Amino acid sequence: MKQTLVTGNEAAAWGARLVRPNYIPTFPITPQTECIETLARWSADGELPGTYFDRMESEHSVMSAAVGAAAVGARVFTASSSQGLLLMHEVLYIAAGMRLPIVMATISRGLSAPVTLWSDHNDFLDQRDSGWLMFHAENNQEVLDMMLQAYRIAEDPRVLLPAMVNMDGYVLSFTDEPITIPSPEMVEEFLPEYNPDHTIAKGRPVTVGPPVLDEYTIFRAQNHVAARNALEVMEEVMDDFDRIFDRRYHLVDEFMLDDAELVLVTQGSMSTTAKAAIMEMREEEGIKVGLLRLRVIRPWPAKAIAEALKGAKAVAVIDRNLAPGRGGIMFPEIVETLYHLDRRPLVSSFVVGLGGNPQTEHKVKEITRKLIDDLETGRPRVEWNDL
Amino acid sequence: MQQFKTLKDLPEQDYFTGGSSACAGCGPSMGLKLALKVLGPETIIVNASGCMTLLPLYPNTPLKASWIHNAIENASSTAAGARHGLDMLGNKDMNVVVYAGDGATYDIGLASLSAVAAKNERIIYICYNNQSFGNTGFQWSTATPYGSETKTTPRGKNNPTGTTAVNKDMVKIMGAHRVYAATASLAYPVDFLNKLSRAKERDGFSYIELLGACTAGWNYDPRLTIRISKLAVRCGMWPMYEIENGILTLNKDFSELKPIDEFLKLQGRYRALPQDGVDRLQVLINEHWAELKEYNGQRYV
Ligand SMILES: Cc1ncc(C[n+]2csc(CCOP(=O)(O)OP(=O)(O)O)c2C)c(N)n1
Ligand code: SF4
Ligand SMILES: [Mg+2]
Repeated sequence: MKQTLVTGNEAAAWGARLVRPNYIPTFPITPQTECIETLARWSADGELPGTYFDRMESEHSVMSAAVGAAAVGARVFTASSSQGLLLMHEVLYIAAGMRLPIVMATISRGLSAPVTLWSDHNDFLDQRDSGWLMFHAENNQEVLDMMLQAYRIAEDPRVLLPAMVNMDGYVLSFTDEPITIPSPEMVEEFLPEYNPDHTIAKGRPVTVGPPVLDEYTIFRAQNHVAARNALEVMEEVMDDFDRIFDRRYHLVDEFMLDDAELVLVTQGSMSTTAKAAIMEMREEEGIKVGLLRLRVIRPWPAKAIAEALKGAKAVAVIDRNLAPGRGGIMFPEIVETLYHLDRRPLVSSFVVGLGGNPQTEHKVKEITRKLIDDLETGRPRVEWNDL
Repeated sequence: MQQFKTLKDLPEQDYFTGGSSACAGCGPSMGLKLALKVLGPETIIVNASGCMTLLPLYPNTPLKASWIHNAIENASSTAAGARHGLDMLGNKDMNVVVYAGDGATYDIGLASLSAVAAKNERIIYICYNNQSFGNTGFQWSTATPYGSETKTTPRGKNNPTGTTAVNKDMVKIMGAHRVYAATASLAYPVDFLNKLSRAKERDGFSYIELLGACTAGWNYDPRLTIRISKLAVRCGMWPMYEIENGILTLNKDFSELKPIDEFLKLQGRYRALPQDGVDRLQVLINEHWAELKEYNGQRYV
């Protein structure tokens, strides 16, 4: 175990290195490139024994090669961002349908047009119906930890689904943070070798990806059940993670919720800024505000979210993404999750931080004040914070 | 290396049994049946979406080998992943073989094929060329020959020719990747299997393009698949040659080609091609044939 300063990209690369993958197909795109360059360097220096580092001609081919390798029982890692992630989109569904537990680090970046290199979550959230497990980290330590957990959860026989671990581009990908890198022995104890029995092997011919007729619905239902199973598996895995690494994670990240009347619902790195603002508001103004960070997007931990928000009077869903013509993507998901509560909080929607527009403490406080106004008027609002 | 001299040498063992949903007389199906005789059961067929995708239909399969169907444009990359996965897990002796149509090869999957070939991955790529997007009902691909009618290049008042584009020279393109590239025909199974056998031994990428006569799309009597496959060779529509390290070898040489009309007249897709279209097609074929003769035994690409 060692303490060291690494960027988010390097944290993902460390995660990949520690899980001992057999195959890493890659294609460069900002802001993910540093992650695969790090792995390329390690591979060239002989520090990734048992891993073949590959370079493809497109992200579509990256995910296709990942599927090919996983179909013969290999443990696979890759990474992508933005346009690259969208180019993979077709094959993401296929990987999930074939029940191949590939793990991918996604480094969020806004989508064209117009071009931006900076982060928002549209690329990641565009994949939310693909059947992948989807995790979103807040900081670089969580990037690494989530990578390890993602493999354990994805490869569990009750799950067998691919998983994405998302971090915000630039804010995490290019920022050094001190993290603890666990020893290979600890990771080996946490994540044993992957020995699937549903993939192709010598003496075990398998047909992967055939057409079906009426059974289609059954296969889709199995995907759904597997994804729901993952919720239970996650709790076990997070317990075990805590036992071995002494770091505790939950399905959702609750911050100062015990007595909170106002709750900000966030995702990713902006949560850290929001937490700082919340502490100040509590200390200086006595506002009872807390935060719920969504760290598992798929499967949707509805129970945990409803439980965490049931005491709130007003909730602000802060979406760093946009579905044009609809609004923030997570807003309706939260509203639906709270619909069946006996006492529903007021839920307002804020679209913020598109294309990396910085989310300052000042802006978080503004949102909180608006929430107080909403509570007074009794009417929720739908608003863009940066216009 | 396994070498075959006559038809009698072909292995009796079949790994492609009954029960497929392909058309009677389907050339591409025959091609896979033959190929598996050499490749054997420890083979992964990586298929691109097309007619062959329907060979297995859950929960049945006519194949006694492994099969991965990923999507249409990515069989090469899928195969590369499978190859490296197997190698890293210590299964170096399993074969990874792509079986993909011309549309998946010449068109939508060209980028992925080119990259995997350029990296000289240890994969055998068989393109079964039925000169169209067959599975979707016979539409134009860049492998469709001049003068062929397809559903997206129908003959009409403004265009009596049907397909006016000249098909891509894919074997030459693959030869230029400095891999082993060859053509094959169902009418010459011994040649096909010897080429496969050779590809199996190579420590790198091999590309074999098999003319996949298609009864439904080309619109001919299913009994004629082999006859048409032979005429394609004899008329110069489908010359038999191979390129290795850039050197061309013509495998079937003829002092004179038969007129293309003999190939065309058996197939509905050419039925209404006007004479000037036939003449132009003949010129294109003669030019290609002359080129192959000229470079036979020499550096070609
Ligand atoms: C991305 C995508 N576009 C279109 C299709 C529809 N499609 C399925 S099979 C096929 C034809 C493929 O042609 P070819 O590779 O020559 O194989 P053939 O059908 O002739 O056997 C097409 C266009 C698809 N499956 N995926
Ligand atoms: S359409 Fe042609 S290639 Fe497709 S199954 Fe029928 S004969 Fe074979
Ligand atoms: Mg075709």
